[in-house]
Amino acid sequence: MSDAPAIATHDLRRTFKDVDAVRGVNLSIAPGEVFGFLGPNGAGKTTTVRMLCTLLPPTGGTATVAGLDVVRDAAQVRRSIGVALQEIGLDPVQSGRELLELQCGLYGIPAARARTRAQELLELVGLADVGERRTKTYSGGMKRRLDLASALVHEPQVLFLDEPTTGLDPASRRTVWDEVRRINEAGTTVFLTTQYLEEADQLCDRLAIIDAGTIVADGTPEELKARMGHDVVALTFDDPGNGTVTAAERAVAGLEGLERTVTERDGTALYVRDGAAAITEIVRLLDAAGLRAKTINLARPSLDDVFLQATGRRLEGAEKETAA
Amino acid sequence: MTEIALLARRSVREILRYPEATIPGLFIPLFFLAVNVGQVAKTFPSTTPFLHGQGYVAFQLPVSLMFAVATAASGLALVTEIDIGYFDKLLAAPIRRSSIIFGRLAADFVRGLVGSTFVLLAGFAFGAHIEAGPLGAVLLVFLAACFGVGYAGFGVLVALRTRNVQATNTSFLLFFPLLFLSPNFVPFDRLSPVMEALARANPVSYVIDGLRSLVIEGWEWDKLAYCTLVIVGLIAILTTLSLRAIEQYDR
Repeated sequence: MSDAPAIATHDLRRTFKDVDAVRGVNLSIAPGEVFGFLGPNGAGKTTTVRMLCTLLPPTGGTATVAGLDVVRDAAQVRRSIGVALQEIGLDPVQSGRELLELQCGLYGIPAARARTRAQELLELVGLADVGERRTKTYSGGMKRRLDLASALVHEPQVLFLDEPTTGLDPASRRTVWDEVRRINEAGTTVFLTTQYLEEADQLCDRLAIIDAGTIVADGTPEELKARMGHDVVALTFDDPGNGTVTAAERAVAGLEGLERTVTERDGTALYVRDGAAAITEIVRLLDAAGLRAKTINLARPSLDDVFLQATGRRLEGAEKETAA
Repeated sequence: MTEIALLARRSVREILRYPEATIPGLFIPLFFLAVNVGQVAKTFPSTTPFLHGQGYVAFQLPVSLMFAVATAASGLALVTEIDIGYFDKLLAAPIRRSSIIFGRLAADFVRGLVGSTFVLLAGFAFGAHIEAGPLGAVLLVFLAACFGVGYAGFGVLVALRTRNVQATNTSFLLFFPLLFLSPNFVPFDRLSPVMEALARANPVSYVIDGLRSLVIEGWEWDKLAYCTLVIVGLIAILTTLSLRAIEQYDR
């Protein structure tokens, strides 16, 4: 596999009349990576994907996909990519099988091979038994899986998935994740936009957070979390009233690596540089002050914390995701 | 070429799977044929000079043929695809954008052949015959279907420019002024001077005149030439504008 980036952008921009939707995005994505593009609605994710898929020309900067310029070599770029956009693009009049066979034909796959390929893909996404049904009768999850299959007919080098699990129930979402992993294991580079933190955490080798058209943070999920510079040690007490929490916070005030404390309803959260190493010392300091914690939990920072730090607010849908 | 054939086959399949979208459109021309003939058949008996010995149904038949083929169906199908996102899927495929238009128009041609054949058979049932003979009947159906292709280009153009279902649906209404400002009920020389001037400026008049000549006069080459010229011009202009619209789509 070539070392040249599967996707590279330099100062990529897109303006709609007086709205700067994408304002100078720089990316370099290696072949075989699953790259996540995380951001709230309206952040510029879909506009970026549409530019990379040649559906929308940039108004500034450059972008290459599979080593090809998205403006100059648009036709070749389209041969190298698979696309499943946010809006599930299925023709409701055709059956799943017909849709895949047509898609094969549009990518120049001969009819006999198209029939075999459609069957392979229907089996891959678990729709072989409903392949003859018109797509308008499919559930949301089935439509999403068929859309994904249609993006794979020509075994693309790079697969673009724009919010592939938005609107899906948790079970369907996990099925799509499994498909994405399988596709990636076969060597396809995956560019995935999402507003689900768990999705980014589960699937992506690296990710970038985009907000208001600009990348505000990027790296591996672990790097981004590590860049937060702290762990969270959450202490709860049987009797958090009567000054217990204040006393506890005072007792650990001298703890090495303690960055700040946040008083919570039934205890306190200690933001420390190395949580695992600090726990023994925290217990010792509490003991010395005659205090005994009911529970001690060590939490790594989440991508939500990373997003909060990068953008100053929590990602829309984060609560919904936790509930799911 | 293969991609056009694939997309055309899909569009034809769409017509076959939604007969409810096509069949009502065939009854409207028959309704107009029956009503118009019923209203004026006694006023214009077969001895009327411009009928050349046929009943008034023969004079009206070409108008009904044009009614049968002039639809906004392709435009509506296209705007629906834009709405549901399938259009983006096609744009992201490694095909020429023009194939999407030609695929649609090819299906319009098939729809036009079927629709005009149906109306022609109904015209036979009402007592009309084709003065130009069987070959004239084939040419009549062919020219009517070609007119349908040209007219479909207008719906496609509106769909691409507005991306709006209502606007595309309304585009069909343009056909009414074009039809009624023509020698629809009587020949040019029987119209009032103002109406005649308007009718002579209306290109659709020459399509009606050309098709009508096959039905009631036989092979009138000058009328057929004007008719063909208008149809070819209509196809050329509206298809070119549609192709430009799809090339500029999101550009």
